Amino acid sequence: MTRVTRAALLRRALPAAIGAGLLPAPAVRAQAPIEITYYHWQTGVAGRSLRGLLDAFQAENPGVVVRDIFKQSDQITAEIQSVVAARRPLDVAQVLGRNVLFIQANLPVVPLDEDRAAGEWLGRFAPNFLGLGDRGGRPYAMPHSFGTPVAYLNLDLLAQAGITTPPATWADTIAAALAVRERTGRAGIAHIQTGNRDYGVMTLVLANGGRYLSPDGRRALFNSPEGIEALQLWGDLVARHRVHPVANDQQLTAAFRAGQLAIHVNTSAGLQPAIAGAEGRFRLGIAQYPTFGAKPRRVPSSGAVMMLFSPEGPRRAATLRLFEFLSRRDIANRWSRETGYIPLSAEPLADPAMARYVEETPLVRPTIAQMPDTVSTDVWAPNGAVEAQTEVSNLVSALWAGRGTAADLVPATVARIDAILSRLNPA
Amino acid sequence: MDVGQPSATPLAVVAPRRARFRGLLPWLFLAPLLVPLALFVYWPLLHTFFLSFVRWNLQPGVPMEFVGLANYDGVLASTLFADAAWNSLIYVLAAIPLKVLLPLPVAVFIWSLGTAGGWYRTVLFLPTLISFVIVAVVVGWMLNPIAGHVAALLANVGGGFGNPLASPDGAIVTIILLSGWKVFGFNVLLYLAGLASIRRDLIEAMRLDGASDWTILRRLIWPLLTPTTFFVLIATVIFSLQQVFTPIDILTEGGPENGTTNFFYMVYQLAFRTFDIGRGAAGTVLLFGLLLVITLIKLRALDKRVHYQQ
Repeated sequence: MTRVTRAALLRRALPAAIGAGLLPAPAVRAQAPIEITYYHWQTGVAGRSLRGLLDAFQAENPGVVVRDIFKQSDQITAEIQSVVAARRPLDVAQVLGRNVLFIQANLPVVPLDEDRAAGEWLGRFAPNFLGLGDRGGRPYAMPHSFGTPVAYLNLDLLAQAGITTPPATWADTIAAALAVRERTGRAGIAHIQTGNRDYGVMTLVLANGGRYLSPDGRRALFNSPEGIEALQLWGDLVARHRVHPVANDQQLTAAFRAGQLAIHVNTSAGLQPAIAGAEGRFRLGIAQYPTFGAKPRRVPSSGAVMMLFSPEGPRRAATLRLFEFLSRRDIANRWSRETGYIPLSAEPLADPAMARYVEETPLVRPTIAQMPDTVSTDVWAPNGAVEAQTEVSNLVSALWAGRGTAADLVPATVARIDAILSRLNPA
Repeated sequence: MDVGQPSATPLAVVAPRRARFRGLLPWLFLAPLLVPLALFVYWPLLHTFFLSFVRWNLQPGVPMEFVGLANYDGVLASTLFADAAWNSLIYVLAAIPLKVLLPLPVAVFIWSLGTAGGWYRTVLFLPTLISFVIVAVVVGWMLNPIAGHVAALLANVGGGFGNPLASPDGAIVTIILLSGWKVFGFNVLLYLAGLASIRRDLIEAMRLDGASDWTILRRLIWPLLTPTTFFVLIATVIFSLQQVFTPIDILTEGGPENGTTNFFYMVYQLAFRTFDIGRGAAGTVLLFGLLLVITLIKLRALDKRVHYQQ
């Protein structure tokens, strides 16, 4: 056996390596794919669906590879911040709606109208979903994973309580919840909270025709007759009618899936898990968000948008092609069908596949019907959101504990929130 | 060439080189420990001090602005601060009886059983091995006011929709008990390690002199266990604020009505929920200072009472 020393190996390998470096490699390099890095918080069914869409995009764009990186939704903004600080690659990120202002103000996000065709592909979305990303007349975000609050119904529990028609107004809902408690002993209703109860309060205030925050997020506006009435209703459900258990979103979702809760107002994005949870336990129904009497329904969307971070050049061009791809009606509808997120296109049912799906899946119809009533979520100013949201959460706790009426508690809370926001966000 | 005359030059060069190398040798051996320690502990610590005096969100290309003590003022003026400070004190004070004092008699009991105590050791240590995230999620299920086991028990005795996490007092007690349960076994194990170092012949000698179990515990075991107790006390107090972070984040998010938040959680919220790096850093420095002061007070007050020799 011939023994090769390390020095001999180096003597032989070095010229070969130098020679390889001098070979006409540009042809190979020219074919190197453009890699797009995409941070998102989709997992499980939604994660697989997203990867499927990205694979379809890659098949259509052979020179582009999309590397998707999962991070928890609560951590994704901090992750994006550290990625930018560490100068790691970042092209596109899914961002929670409530963090859009912070990101637009603090991170190198690129307005989407850098692409001349952006107007055309953003125009494919229903206009009421585009407001969240609009800052100073420029689009900074594309809607992607939106939900709308709907009422999930345990039809068996409601039937036991003598309720056969889905409640349409808050008065109907309270009556149904009282009947459930009296006749079955089970919990009647629970309302979505999310984000330190911030989203729950916003939903109730907007649904009653009130305003929640100013457009710049620096002032709370729910110290109004509509806001006070809406929040008093939430307090009454707990403290007066005793039909709403005091628990967090996870506990309430688990209770509904266990068949212990009659009506759960929750995001439509939870449809697929709700169907799976109800299977074999109870008949599931879905109703649109209850209205305040005859007032028109108006509810905020929940969920995430996509924001662009690519540096100028081929990566940005490729990423903008990805945005365009995901904005197509058939693609947005496929994403909706596979995940439960609302279809965001202007006319989703013009797509035969979607029309067939809605025809075959009655549970999705209330969500589709509620799309025109869904508006952009209000966003807090970049600084002081935690303190402001904590004030909102404390207000709800005080109302639930019956420590005062909304008329007593809301003005003081709003004054404190405004003081916090003006101190931390000087003009 | 004069070969009879020994040349002094090579030796003069070699000797200082060797001496220098010998001087460097300990540092070379220490380097695998010191370099990571400097990179991942002391550099971040110093950088955090620096960040607490500037307004900057870590972004390259964005100029940082020196703001003096404004970030500290921002932390102290935060509406979360007073509750976080008060709750931090409660968490620290509650940790002493639950995590420092109570494990001691339990450890002595297990130690007195000899090899038969192994089963108890395993059972008590098991919670330490379980992820706190999993523990918090399971407790959240158990305390579910509608579908949880505790709710079912309450329903049997006539209660309905009760939720200990719904009130500030109930929530903080739940988190303190949960954290105590999680750390209890680990501290028992530390005490058992301390007990194992006590010479049995000293105990036998006391027995021959007619000492009772209580006298042996008070006069021999307790004094010889003071170094371990001192270590357990300092470690428990320092870690008591971060040990409760996971259940706070999963079960209460600091609520209800700021009832469970603490300094540690507040700093996390400032830095990673609102991404206010300056205030987050200032809060961290304040927390560091607080724990340093508590530890120094304990060192001064208790170190003289610790018996290090048998």
